[in-house]
Amino acid sequence: MTVFDLIIDYIKSGRIRLDRRRFNVRATYHDPCNYGRRAQKRFGHGYFEEPRWIMDQCLDDWIDLHPNRLHQICCGGGGGALATGYDEERIFHGRRKMDQIRATGAQMLILPCHSCHGQLNGIKTTYEMEDLTVKYLWELVADCLVR
Amino acid sequence: MAPDQPVRLENLNPACCTAWLHEQDLCLTCAMCASACPVAGVDDFDPRKMVRMVSLGMVDQVVRSRWPWICTMCGKCEQVCPMGVGIADITRRIRSLRDDNRVPGILHKGLAAALETGNNLSLPKEDFIFILEDVAEEIAEEPGFEGFGVPIDKTGARLLTTIHNKLVNTHTEDLKPWWKIFHAAGEDWTVASDNWEGTSWGYFTGDDEAMKIMAGRIVENMRRLEVDTLLWPE
Repeated sequence: MTVFDLIIDYIKSGRIRLDRRRFNVRATYHDPCNYGRRAQKRFGHGYFEEPRWIMDQCLDDWIDLHPNRLHQICCGGGGGALATGYDEERIFHGRRKMDQIRATGAQMLILPCHSCHGQLNGIKTTYEMEDLTVKYLWELVADCLVR
Repeated sequence: MAPDQPVRLENLNPACCTAWLHEQDLCLTCAMCASACPVAGVDDFDPRKMVRMVSLGMVDQVVRSRWPWICTMCGKCEQVCPMGVGIADITRRIRSLRDDNRVPGILHKGLAAALETGNNLSLPKEDFIFILEDVAEEIAEEPGFEGFGVPIDKTGARLLTTIHNKLVNTHTEDLKPWWKIFHAAGEDWTVASDNWEGTSWGYFTGDDEAMKIMAGRIVENMRRLEVDTLLWPE
């Protein structure tokens, strides 16, 4: 079961309730290559709409990066790049992603991938975006839980 | 490869890789891939160059180059390829041809540790359980989570979840979100105390056999614990 299907199931069945007013900041969403473009090619289904639906349940103000979905730009940390030691090249790889994020004016970046999280949280200082909050999609959901 | 040395076609073996199912011989050399690639030009390399070198039989040179490890296999190249060449799969295939002891960084070390011990860190079972229970105690101190505990090796639970090794290493705080969601949803869940590793670095090194072993262990955990649903967030 994917992280998206499980969270959507919890929300739709009423097993969890979410408060959309927890975060009073603009957010944006990053499509990881393997959940999106590569899954589309390999399995015939890219997880593009599911995370966006979850974002809608958690946030009033979020906007997409451009380009997105199939045409998304890689964070630069995937494919094992965080563990090769080629750090200079990896940080360079992320430059276009950081430009995309900056262009939205978002203060919070949501994503559902450990590699993307490690990469973008790690390089934000290099690109003078240290105030950007980088959050897992499931962390956003946990933060918005109504108890 | 010295850039000033001419490459003579008669010395190459273009038939070397015709058995690969990545359609590299269909390449029209249009360079759409190179235009789409975020690291085209790094190391004087790009996806088109890699595809053409494989097609011409210059595989050894590509295997020796760093570029296939700087490429993240993001798939932008093959998304725009008019001929459907499996460029990211070629990168992975090239990676698989590196000797294990020449794989860059900690990728092979982590994978070897996982195959030997069940996780990339070679973390002993007692330490793993200690960390999980320690984090669970912290959650139980938060309002709304009184009595929270982590169900390790619970037989007959509905859902088994894997764990990314960094969450029991440098990022233990990041264990909490999923556990809080499970608690709020009233989920019947469990974690296995052996072979809990969610990452599978054979994906990165092009080692299909290692991936099969890692996935097989997770399936074995599901059988042993009689769990029918798997959450594998890695």
